Amino acid sequence: MNLGTRKVLDRSFTSLGIGSIVVMALALLVVITPIVYNGLGAVFFQGTIEHRKLLQDEFHRGDKAQLEREIEESGRYRMEAYRMLGEFEAELEGMDPVKARQYRMQLGPVKTALQGLLGPIPGEEPGILTRFRYGQTRWEKAEEKLHELLYESKWDYSDPNVMAKEYFVRRAESFEGTSLLPLFSYVEQNAEKMLLPRFTAYWGFLFDKSVDAHIFGGIWPEIQGTFFLAIGAMLFAFPLGVVAAIYFTEYAKDNLFTSMLRSANSTLAGVPSIVFGLFGLAFFINTLKVSESKSVLAGALTLAIMILPTIIRAAEEAILSVPKTYKEASLGLGSTKWNTIVTVILPAALPGIITGGVISLGRAAGETAPIIFTAAVSVGSAIGLADVLSSPTPALSWNIYNLASEHEMASEIRHVQYGMVLALVSIVLLLNLSAVLLRARITKKLKG
Amino acid sequence: MSGEVQKESSRSQAFVVSESRRKMQKVARTAGETVLLLIASFVAIVVLFIFYFVAVDAVPYFQLRGFTEFFTSTSWYPAGEPGEFGALAIIYGTGMVTLGSALLAVPMGIAAAVCLSDILPFSVRQYAKPVIEMLAAIPSVAFGFFALVILAPLLQTSGGPMLMWVWWILAAPFLLLSVIVGSDLLTTKIEDPLRRKRYATMLQALFGLLALLVLYVVGSRLNAMEILTGTNALNVSIILSFMALPTIVSVAEDSLQSVGRELREGSYALGATRAETLVKTVIPAASSGILAAVILGIMRSLGETMVVWMASGNSSHIPEPWYNYLEAVRTLTATIAGDMGEADQVTGSARYHVLFAMGLLLLVISFISNLVSERIVVRQRKILSGQ
Repeated sequence: MNLGTRKVLDRSFTSLGIGSIVVMALALLVVITPIVYNGLGAVFFQGTIEHRKLLQDEFHRGDKAQLEREIEESGRYRMEAYRMLGEFEAELEGMDPVKARQYRMQLGPVKTALQGLLGPIPGEEPGILTRFRYGQTRWEKAEEKLHELLYESKWDYSDPNVMAKEYFVRRAESFEGTSLLPLFSYVEQNAEKMLLPRFTAYWGFLFDKSVDAHIFGGIWPEIQGTFFLAIGAMLFAFPLGVVAAIYFTEYAKDNLFTSMLRSANSTLAGVPSIVFGLFGLAFFINTLKVSESKSVLAGALTLAIMILPTIIRAAEEAILSVPKTYKEASLGLGSTKWNTIVTVILPAALPGIITGGVISLGRAAGETAPIIFTAAVSVGSAIGLADVLSSPTPALSWNIYNLASEHEMASEIRHVQYGMVLALVSIVLLLNLSAVLLRARITKKLKG
Repeated sequence: MSGEVQKESSRSQAFVVSESRRKMQKVARTAGETVLLLIASFVAIVVLFIFYFVAVDAVPYFQLRGFTEFFTSTSWYPAGEPGEFGALAIIYGTGMVTLGSALLAVPMGIAAAVCLSDILPFSVRQYAKPVIEMLAAIPSVAFGFFALVILAPLLQTSGGPMLMWVWWILAAPFLLLSVIVGSDLLTTKIEDPLRRKRYATMLQALFGLLALLVLYVVGSRLNAMEILTGTNALNVSIILSFMALPTIVSVAEDSLQSVGRELREGSYALGATRAETLVKTVIPAASSGILAAVILGIMRSLGETMVVWMASGNSSHIPEPWYNYLEAVRTLTATIAGDMGEADQVTGSARYHVLFAMGLLLLVISFISNLVSERIVVRQRKILSGQ
């Protein structure tokens, strides 16, 4: 091979390496950006009057007098729309029954869409669920509903070789020549006045209970559950892990038994997370019966087992990185081995041990598979500290799955899902960030 | 003066420990160490317990239904009367997404590890490391959500053009490089430098045209492809490769770093370029550590639950044709997670125990790969420490 080709190969090898790292950074960016952008949308958005009504009714928050004024103001515009609807219904009464039935069939979706947009139509009994008692709380959702009201979606099956395409027909066309016709253009022009959208910072998203299965309200029960589970896991795993690390670094002899213990440690680190879930179910719940069924306690124990190897490894590394001179000085002064460990080595290794602990805390907070069978429920209110021994809890990780995959209105509440993902990712990444900063400080300190 | 001496001696008296007290101390120390040992062996006990309790619930399944159906049938209808528990398609799906993610993550991970350990200057490396750590820290359910809500619709609506662009971006530089290297290699036998250059240019033009043709034909075929569902094996493989990358990079980098300076310097001294040094000297020397990294990375994809549960489509059949990554698949982990809710735990039906059988299968695979990778790492450490 001539030199030129070799140089080209060398350069391309370098760019392959750099390219891979860039791909990883891009992957991180591509995953994080939409989560942050859309997740912030759960807190900051154009809130409509329906949102303010809901806050007032459910949480008694907001300026009541102003809300009344706004309701009155928007009510005026709404009345006009309802009047048109009523007029048309009266017109239907006097129409040819065949024709009237046809119109009624087309009126159904219009009314549903109008209800979805503005809330229940006066004089009609709203459904029992909260979702039927309010219109769209978010302006961008209201715009979608408005589109649904104005256009009928149809599917084009004309070409059997390609997938059916969706197209839209103005609903107004089917009501040509009736008294309902002006309703469509009226609602289109006055939607903003009927809903009064305003920039809202809904901090309650983080601290409120959920209302009607997360269609409204906040995610506090999930956040609290996540904290309970992660901290509970740490309570079990951290002391055990640190003590085990002390044994491995200071007491273990270099023999078969020790290497078996180490092997067990790395085996435990490699067990798939769902198997921890199976084990938690079979052992903690079905055999030990720590609780009747799922509970925070069972989940925390399962998570503790999962993060134990990470804690042991981190603590071992931290203890090993304490300079040998510290230990020798302490022993030379006549202190016992245990005394040296407790008063000299552990304090010096503490920042490193805590770093490992913080990273494990993040891991416990983010894991889903081990808590599916042991601790997580999809709906529920925040539980008190006294209930952790016996009752299950909603948790961020599980509810993200549940809302995204199993919720009946999954595609309607994307903002809640994004908000949850952002909350979880921020918790985990903030924990990791603090661990990184802590570690940087230790390195600085050890360098002197 | 004498008073001070007196004091001194009484003070040292305190350090002289009586025989009985020393014995007590010894007992206390032994007891303490035993407690420490017990706590340290807690991990081993847990591992034994995991094996035992998963196996205890898995065995009844095999007693009830035997081994043949589980490993050879593809019909998975656990809710039927009587239920059918053929897990072959599920095992196949697991293998498929694991292999797919490995194909993406292994070359990229090794290249990134080499880059981190040998190419990037320290100042840049400091910023690259946190990126990798952050990628590792993102919870799997967040990746799963991304795969389900963002990537899957994107693949479904514009998957063809996306694949085409990825193909062009990846294949164009690679093909260009092979054209240059190939024409150079084919003309090395020619002695006369002028003639060699002429032939090389001709070959380059010829190969270049061929490469363009390949780029265009494959690209247009990819572009015309219609993806029926975005929740498929490809989607999951891509996301799983993101998740396996940090593991592969960090373990492989450790192993590359443990290859001494001497090997590198020797290679440079013989006139090798950096790429040649890395490919022919450093990577072979670190190969066993890299292999361990690959195994650990693959384990991460194999054991992942949330991403595959949310974004693989959960359809229990072997794709048609068998290598079709654009079809929905189902994996072991997702089946365990998804079916446990409906399985009757109290009566202990086959439907409940079959999930434990799947868990046992996963557990055994992960246990074996862990042992293998551990042995490999130990061996490499021995070799590199000069034996």
